[in-house]
Amino acid sequence: MQPPADHWTLYGETLHSRLLLGTARYPSLDSLGAAVRSSGTDILTVSLRRQAQEPDGARSLWQFLRSLERRLLPNTAGCHSVKEALTLAEMARELFATDWIKLEVIGDDYNLQPDPLATVEAARTLVKRGFRVFPYCTEDLVLARSLLEAGCEVLMPWGAPIGTGRGLLNPYALATLRERLPDATLIIDAGIGLPSDATRALEMGYDGVLLNTAVALAGDPVIMAAAFAAAVTAGRAAYRAEPMPPRQTAVPSTPTVGTPFWHQHEATQSGGAT
Amino acid sequence: MHVGIAGAGLMGRLLAWRLLQRGCQVSLYDDHAPAGCASAAMTAAGMLAALSEAAEGTTAMATLGAGAVVAWRQLLAELAAEGAPPVWFQGRGSLVVAHPADAADLERLRRLLTTRVAADRFHTLDAAALSELEPELAGRFDGGLYLPEEGCIDNRQLLVSLEWVIRQLGGEWHAGTSVKEAAPGQLRLADGTQYFDLAVDCRGAGAVGQCPGLRAVRGELLRIAAPELQLSRPVRLAHPRYQLYIAPRADNSYVVGATEIESAASHAVTVRSALELLSALFSLHPAFAEAEILEMNAAHRATFTDHLPRVEATPKWLRVNGLYRHGFLLAPTLLDKALAALPLPQAVPMAAVS
Repeated sequence: MQPPADHWTLYGETLHSRLLLGTARYPSLDSLGAAVRSSGTDILTVSLRRQAQEPDGARSLWQFLRSLERRLLPNTAGCHSVKEALTLAEMARELFATDWIKLEVIGDDYNLQPDPLATVEAARTLVKRGFRVFPYCTEDLVLARSLLEAGCEVLMPWGAPIGTGRGLLNPYALATLRERLPDATLIIDAGIGLPSDATRALEMGYDGVLLNTAVALAGDPVIMAAAFAAAVTAGRAAYRAEPMPPRQTAVPSTPTVGTPFWHQHEATQSGGAT
Repeated sequence: MHVGIAGAGLMGRLLAWRLLQRGCQVSLYDDHAPAGCASAAMTAAGMLAALSEAAEGTTAMATLGAGAVVAWRQLLAELAAEGAPPVWFQGRGSLVVAHPADAADLERLRRLLTTRVAADRFHTLDAAALSELEPELAGRFDGGLYLPEEGCIDNRQLLVSLEWVIRQLGGEWHAGTSVKEAAPGQLRLADGTQYFDLAVDCRGAGAVGQCPGLRAVRGELLRIAAPELQLSRPVRLAHPRYQLYIAPRADNSYVVGATEIESAASHAVTVRSALELLSALFSLHPAFAEAEILEMNAAHRATFTDHLPRVEATPKWLRVNGLYRHGFLLAPTLLDKALAALPLPQAVPMAAVS
């Protein structure tokens, strides 16, 4: 029996893949294109901070990205203040004819940690100006609530700092976020290193993952993109299948055939089977 | 045979020289003056780093650029034999180092070199071996990688030397003459079309828009003079986000590069780029703090979507483009390919090469 279709929506747009990909640092544009195809992603995020001075200068890149026929999600990566992020968002809206914006306001330049206060402030203004905001944030519950109150329908908490590939560093807080905000769309953004990290995020009930470096800097980005596609599918399927709760100890559920009952009693008493 | 060449950058000059040697009449056209040439070759580190480029980018670089150090040695010997001005060159290998926080990036490069290139073509150094090889770096890093096959060349001295030999052999140099289009047997200039037996298009980023799939990527570099420091070979700094290297020149000057920005914008170097490059330099050795900044330059590197170069020939037409950030690494191979693609008389025997 085929499982029922599992579409999801972001700001009213129906999507199939729960994997979102970044577009930076691939060995070449051809390699990026091939990785995008093998990932099956519906959404590509693109940064334009370094092209801001003369956006038309990157026309060739924009054309290439459009030719991949995915939804483009421009981001404000590289912005350090509310003002910069707002200016760049307006530029992105004009350049890509979309009101979607992945909001990044960086608070620390080395590990690219988001500035939570500036992110909330920028999100409020952007929502008022008609943007559909995807804020990159930490796993802090109170911050997440503030962003939802500001009008964001989607939140993008980090798994670990950008580019570190360390996976989900704070699973407790991420699980809390998921449990406390059951109706919000939550996408893990940043820090994913291995496909198993992505699987875990989806198993926890996260709606999707966004990653870049783990694919772009793999020895073979095309194969890694396919691995992530499979990982996300597996994680989502596992979540929908309602996994069995893990047991604390390996207690036999029925008497083991061939072992005298008094020995079975001893084994559990002495902890021999733990 | 009369050959018209559009673009007096690295490929244009090399081809002009070779074609003059074979008895062709050569007319070379470029937007700019020979010395102020705006080509990518003018703003380049001249790194001959086939292995590290193959690990970081396209594996084909290992093959295409494998013989670069040997080939340049030969080309420079030929230039010297013709009496051209000398060109500083070294083939003593290159180093890759990383700060402790970026050790994962060095490890990533080491793994890629092992799996994509060959484990026996580089050495992993400990701190002592690194200090012995490059004493200026003593005590500054826990170790690094040494790639003995790599080297570097003074890009600007080479351009000067090629200009000299082209003029010496009677090449016609039309500086400040822009070529709008290169078609079989003709170059279209602002004030009319010139006709040739062969038209060669070496315009690099100047051909963007006329060459399908070709785009410009912006690269920024610094040139500095650091009399206190004596690095004898190029040093690459592994970093999570940037490609950073310091290529030595004669007289303790260095080229520091390079940013890589997906843009054809031609404004001056930005503060951010300067900060990135200068921080890398300072972190390599604090004595660079007293170095003199001679220049900061931006240039466009022309590339196709696979980052590989193309040599294309049809009767009366030749195009070499897409050298990207690997111009000096790829030029000798592309020069041979281009010449092989042409119906040319045999080379005129030269004076014995010293």
